[in-house]
Amino acid sequence: MHAVRNIRLCTKDCLCLFVCPTGATDTETGQIDASKCLDGCRLCVDACPSHAIFLIPKNYTPQQKKSEKTKQALKELAKSKAEQERLALDIAKETTDPTERQLARALARSLRILSEDLHRESGFMLPQDEATRAFLQEQLQKNSNSDDFPKEAVLRLLQLL
Amino acid sequence: MEEAMREMSLEELGSVCSNLAKACSKQMRMEEADLFGRLASYYGQKRERREGQSFKALSALIEEDLSQGYAKATGTAQAEGDRGAQRSLVWGEKTTKLLKSLLARYEKQGTSLLEKTNVFVCDICGFVYVGEQPPEICPVCKVPSFKILAVQKEAI
Repeated sequence: MHAVRNIRLCTKDCLCLFVCPTGATDTETGQIDASKCLDGCRLCVDACPSHAIFLIPKNYTPQQKKSEKTKQALKELAKSKAEQERLALDIAKETTDPTERQLARALARSLRILSEDLHRESGFMLPQDEATRAFLQEQLQKNSNSDDFPKEAVLRLLQLL
Repeated sequence: MEEAMREMSLEELGSVCSNLAKACSKQMRMEEADLFGRLASYYGQKRERREGQSFKALSALIEEDLSQGYAKATGTAQAEGDRGAQRSLVWGEKTTKLLKSLLARYEKQGTSLLEKTNVFVCDICGFVYVGEQPPEICPVCKVPSFKILAVQKEAI
């Protein structure tokens, strides 16, 4: 686990600089240097008076079990949102009115966020979860004959996750 | 579940991937976030544009979710005691009602609805706001306003 700084909360009290044994917290980017940060050390986390530093876990436990029925219900609704997003994008593409396009793009963005959240609750919460691997492998297989599918991106993801 | 995956549209595939990209960036896994982002835009580019779509047709689909989709899914999530699913459905239904009323207002007022004002979308729950400044806290998901982002008007 390495430390991360929430810049929005940081009030530059610099306690993290004083306690860090490796200098990982002192960077010009405002972020903590993960390559220097000691696994699980948390001295800066506890020293920070504005609670702006937290630890990012390396490993995540498997997710709560979800019933297939609920997952299916959420996916159905996500499908509907995705179709609506497509419709909004079609309108945005076709219209010649900037205001109409603005509205269509706002709707499309909202609808994408709605379907993302439904997908998240339908088993795609955690990228490291088995459902994500299965999804990626499935996509690799389905697109094995495609010449523009970003295969190397998927292979790299399977390697990293 | 495999069957369901096979039926996914390009927008659904894109949405699964953009959701996972967000999850990765929340874990500060920027390389993975970028890779999921690339995959999401691949599915976006594959989309075939259709002509002659209307806000009216969009309203009709939204109305279907409100009259059937949410009730059905909420019933299932409640019966299974899935708190996370219920959370998503409560937020989603609120936002969807807003989308419906926004489209109804647009049908009456036309583009004057958005003249001399701004449009914002909450990056967390999809809440849409028309006005000068977004609310300080999202009324649907309670995130602070810096996550409620403006949708710009672009010249065509």
